[in-house]
Amino acid sequence: MTTADVTPAADPGALARMARELRPIAPFLVIFLCFALLALLASAIAPYNPNTQNLLARLKPPGTAVRGIFYLLGTDEVGRDLLSRLIFGARVSLSVAMLSVCVSTLIGTLLGTIAGFYRGATEIIIMRFTDIVLSIPAILLAIITIAVLGPGLQNVVLVLGFTRWPRYARVAYGQTLAAMGLTFMRASAFNGASAPRLILRHVLPNIAGAIIVVATLEFGLMVLFEAGLSFLGLGVQPPTPSWGSMLSVGRNYMGTAWWIATFPGICLFLLVLSINVIGDRLRDRLDPRSGR
Amino acid sequence: MGKMQRRTRLRLLGLGILGLAATVLAGPANAAKDVLVIDLVQEPSSLDPHVQWNPDSYFVYRNIFDNMLTRDNDGKIVPQVAAAWRQVDDSTTEFTLRGDIKFHDGSALTADDVVFSVKRITDAAFKSPQRDQFNKIVDATAVSPTVVRLKTEGPYPVLLAQLTKLSIVPKAYVTQVGNERFNQAPLGSGPYKFISIQRGVKTTLARNDAYWGDKGLFATAEFHAVPDPATRVADLRSGKADLIVTINADIADELKKDGKVKVLSVLSERVAYFHLNSLAGPTKDLKVRRAIAHAIDRQGIIDGLMHGYDKPATIMLAPVHVGYVEGFKGHAYDPAKAKALLKEAGITPQTPFTLFTAPTFDQRVVQAIQQMLIDVGINATITTSDFAGWLKRAQSSPAEFGEMTFSRWSCGCQDADGVLFPLYHSSSQWAKSNDPAMDKELEAARASLDPAVRLAHYRRVHEIAEATVPLVPLYQVAILYGARKELRWTPTPNESFFINRVGWQD
Amino acid sequence: MGRFLLKRLVQSAIAILGTVTLIFFIQRLAGDPTLLMLPEGATREDIEILRHQLGFDRPLIVQYLEYIAQLAHFDLGQSLVQRVPVADIIAARLPYTLCLAAGALLVAVGVGLPAGILMAVRRGSALERALMALVLVGQSMPTFWSGILLIMLFAVTLGIMPSSGVDGVRSVVLPAIALGALTMATYARVARTAVLEELERDYVSTARAKGLSFRRVVTRHILRNAATPIITISALEIANLLAGAVIVETVFAWPGLGQLAVQSIAARDFPIVQAIVLLSAFVSIALNLVADLLYSVVDPRIRLEGRA
Repeated sequence: MTTADVTPAADPGALARMARELRPIAPFLVIFLCFALLALLASAIAPYNPNTQNLLARLKPPGTAVRGIFYLLGTDEVGRDLLSRLIFGARVSLSVAMLSVCVSTLIGTLLGTIAGFYRGATEIIIMRFTDIVLSIPAILLAIITIAVLGPGLQNVVLVLGFTRWPRYARVAYGQTLAAMGLTFMRASAFNGASAPRLILRHVLPNIAGAIIVVATLEFGLMVLFEAGLSFLGLGVQPPTPSWGSMLSVGRNYMGTAWWIATFPGICLFLLVLSINVIGDRLRDRLDPRSGR
Repeated sequence: MGKMQRRTRLRLLGLGILGLAATVLAGPANAAKDVLVIDLVQEPSSLDPHVQWNPDSYFVYRNIFDNMLTRDNDGKIVPQVAAAWRQVDDSTTEFTLRGDIKFHDGSALTADDVVFSVKRITDAAFKSPQRDQFNKIVDATAVSPTVVRLKTEGPYPVLLAQLTKLSIVPKAYVTQVGNERFNQAPLGSGPYKFISIQRGVKTTLARNDAYWGDKGLFATAEFHAVPDPATRVADLRSGKADLIVTINADIADELKKDGKVKVLSVLSERVAYFHLNSLAGPTKDLKVRRAIAHAIDRQGIIDGLMHGYDKPATIMLAPVHVGYVEGFKGHAYDPAKAKALLKEAGITPQTPFTLFTAPTFDQRVVQAIQQMLIDVGINATITTSDFAGWLKRAQSSPAEFGEMTFSRWSCGCQDADGVLFPLYHSSSQWAKSNDPAMDKELEAARASLDPAVRLAHYRRVHEIAEATVPLVPLYQVAILYGARKELRWTPTPNESFFINRVGWQD
Repeated sequence: MGRFLLKRLVQSAIAILGTVTLIFFIQRLAGDPTLLMLPEGATREDIEILRHQLGFDRPLIVQYLEYIAQLAHFDLGQSLVQRVPVADIIAARLPYTLCLAAGALLVAVGVGLPAGILMAVRRGSALERALMALVLVGQSMPTFWSGILLIMLFAVTLGIMPSSGVDGVRSVVLPAIALGALTMATYARVARTAVLEELERDYVSTARAKGLSFRRVVTRHILRNAATPIITISALEIANLLAGAVIVETVFAWPGLGQLAVQSIAARDFPIVQAIVLLSAFVSIALNLVADLLYSVVDPRIRLEGRA
């Protein structure tokens, strides 16, 4: 584990090295950045309002024009422009994934670190509670909780966050334990450093790598999870577009209006694929056991 | 990774593929046509005809058991277990049973079994969800082995309609094996016998060759549970299923392109409606409700989303209902008028309107209606819950209800009493309106056995409803089925399925 | 070790109880199944009568204690919807889920493992990148989409596979592929990391210096040493598979516990949902215990540090 960063200014070869390292995953980085841009600039980029219906223009194939409105990617089952919905869907799918990962990272890291730091009764309570939540299949817990809270973007984020935090907690716990064993930790404690200071200054930076590893894995999973919840009718509610719900509705139209499912499906696939590839590369760099 | 290992792996893979191909080719291509395969949405939750109320179970057990009465394909009430009946007095009806009905174990069906069935289903301790359909029957007596007298709480005009849903179970067998065992291995007198149930997979029935009535064409019938509509379609197209249920117009379109299958449709007794809150919120104002009624383009929904299968409804009944009256115009599609009414009522785009719904309802329709409301200036937001949550909210107090919801109603009885009483009468937890004049008419219609008198009262009910707009009737729902081209079957308005009415054309 | 084991067993038992309690109360927050069971026309009194008969008008604590007492007698209760013992239903459906999980595991290991090993051995090559992309494809698609694509291709268009349900061995192929594709990448990654680690070890260079062929080195030594993390991962992945099966089972009409769970939650059939959660909690906690034991054996730091 490096304790000193090598800044590009100090090491002119570093930039070139970085570029070389990033080349194999460059296309995926570009894809991800494109989607991120779409999500951020949706209102500016989308040609039409994603929620305006037109029952007379439903299920139109890509490239049709109806009453002066040109539908580049066709229309969906109630006549909304697919391209606009796709663009706004990027925002929804990405924000759900990002927010839920943030929620679970925060909760999980906090609980796991505290458990590993303080040991004893705290450790037992927290880790057993982690076991409890972990032992319920995440999707079942999500469905049950949504049955109580009701679906919708906010609740989906909350539910996803609350079902996934145990994974982070376990990793944070294990890594904290390992970090606690390091000599400089014991030295600092010996010197009288307070608990919060120790955690913030020394534990967290050491476990950050492992946490990021989990987070990158989870990010792609959360995108798929939201799609799964939409399939079951419990995800983001209509008319808000999310790639998952567009895909699950479009499945029923594969024979007559293949575009409704195919475009969101491709986007979803590319998004998750790029996240997974980038995440893999991050993992390679951050995981000390990668052998590089 | 050595070359040899890779080769071994490839060899194994090759063998695997060959083995797979062998099983594929050896498997049965298409079953011979003495097995009828039906894809339901869910498996029957139970086969005891008295312990549940859901269509998937009904599809199955309705073939195992005979009911007191039944409906023919046109919807008329005709004899089944009861061959004839007469009114003894206002609250007593006497039924003469057929003498030749035998249960599948050979024992004869007698008046004792009828009395037993009635008492069983009306016993609160038995916890039958169907109890409320029959709880107006206060007593059942066997006058002779083939004559039964049913006494109702006052005159009950819907008795015969409800009796089309009462299945007759064998008293001796049920008391002998107990309720739980009877649920797992039901025994009835119907045209098909229960053979086996593989939970979650399929339920198998076999033809009863000793049946007193029309014997079925198929020796065996299998009901499969396939929750996903896209998979049901795949089943039909690949030949695995002969009949699939619950498809919508868009799926029907897809099926039309395939030459091996066809779409069957029937205008059912189910009516789609848009329920409004007359007791709380912005919809309390009659102008707002009228505006909503004018804002919805029924024909547009039917043409655009239903491909013309459904029929517009101007009153909350279908022509197959007793109590249906012709000639009501309803509220025409007039967005300009809607906007004017809203302006008068002082509604702005800031006024909150909640449209609560559940995934069970056709979300295309819900969203289309939402758009129509937005177009006239009603800013409706959709809130979703699962079906259980929807039921709770729909039957909650006016304060918790919100403003509006979309639903479809069927009483399974083809009688106005089963539809209008729960929706309009102030004592019902479904009703979100309170109109003493309406209440009076509904109660009077319920208390008379004279069809002409009842019709007059229901005419008044429709008039009041059109004036006070407690809900907006939308359309009579068409039920669509997918079937193999060779299948000969007429769907009925009460969504029944009798295997012995299904034919096959080679 | 003995005391540690005993402590963890007690803690695990409490954890299982905790899981069941959590689900018990969360479920009931969403209401009871009375309304779902009844026809539309049921009046308020009818609803209350049925609710009372089913016992849902009693205080939650009373219902909970009754449930715990039942559990103590190993009685899982009766399904509210099907009116038959929960144990019968679970016993009937469990084999299907196990079958699907086994099939998916076979697919995941059968493709992921060799891919991972290949990737490690051919590190940095185009083959590695291609393989990585291949296994990642499976993890990048929602199963309800890959499922319907598989059905449309193999069942409808080609007609060589059944489109749904259970009809013999063939029926498990498509669902197993859809489900197994999810975990392929995990196995590939783990195998790759483990093998890479081993490749760095001294004994490898020693063996090669001694003249052993590379293939021999891989099979004789590396695979054996890399087995541990792969087994550990399997423990967690099996639990994941059981969960991921939910959607696959719904799409393919596969009569396993996942599909049953989703339907029972929607139907508010509490006893079934509780039984399934109990079962999965049991499996998951047991597997975790095993994994933790393996970890503490493998990583001495954890054992030495203050396990009081």
